Amino acid sequence: MEKTEIILQSDGSFVERLVSERTLNVGQSVLDTLTENLTRPIRNVFNIPGWGLVHANVGLHDTLWSVPIDRIPLHARFRLINQVLVPMFASSTDIEMPLVWKVPAGVKVVFVVNTKQEDDFVSVEGNWLFACDADKRGYRLPLPNLHDDCRICTGQFEGDQENAFECVKASLEQFGKSKWNADLMRTSEQSQKFFRFQPTKETFETLPIQGEWTALCNKVSTALYERVVV
Amino acid sequence: MKTITVKYGVDQITKQVEDDFTFGDLQDSDQFKAALGFGDNTKALVDGIEQNRETVIPAGTTVRIETAANTKA
Repeated sequence: MEKTEIILQSDGSFVERLVSERTLNVGQSVLDTLTENLTRPIRNVFNIPGWGLVHANVGLHDTLWSVPIDRIPLHARFRLINQVLVPMFASSTDIEMPLVWKVPAGVKVVFVVNTKQEDDFVSVEGNWLFACDADKRGYRLPLPNLHDDCRICTGQFEGDQENAFECVKASLEQFGKSKWNADLMRTSEQSQKFFRFQPTKETFETLPIQGEWTALCNKVSTALYERVVV
Repeated sequence: MKTITVKYGVDQITKQVEDDFTFGDLQDSDQFKAALGFGDNTKALVDGIEQNRETVIPAGTTVRIETAANTKA
């Protein structure tokens, strides 16, 4: 389509402008380049038994899986201080127990798995653990084995699986059975105010966090966290 | 003086800084750290591109601070 415009300029002269338009047959590669960094969140993609619903954030090259979790398995060493059981991650002498810390109201904890589709399998590219407040600010929990960007130092496990469901399942299984040690540990004081247990006759009850929980964590902002679906 | 906007997560602050204020100055600034809550291990991005610490921040720029990954475990 072509159209002609006659423009009267401020100096009184006339200018003719010819405008030509045509629809471009944009190739897939151009579209892919333009949308390379675009991702799409999809909620409730599948359910992992024992953990719950999993949300996805799908990118061109990878998929980020978010699992809001209601507990953190804390297989670590603990010590009873003033009738409260607290973690002693750096200890080699205190009692080792597989306690489960229940996430309290007001705190959201999200376990994240990044997967990549290979030719005939799906690979786990990493696991992350974020805490979030009501405004979706991200925080690093006062735990060892967590990098500054909340990537979990998981230890070795089979990260190549048949599909994404198996990748998320394998990651959560590793998360559930791994022992927490002193690697990447900061101060134990914050951990011991955050993760507290009351021994009862039959079990160990999770106690409330001592103080404002966000003050015991480090605020985190990363490109990956922006993709987390809470 | 010049005005810059700094974002960290969902929080942001707009502030006047000296004309020679660099990205490194921003990353080390206790005032910005206290206001936005970021720590020592960060990177500064403009339009998604990581900036050098020595570069002077142009007036009116919006800088996004991100938590950097550890250099070693």
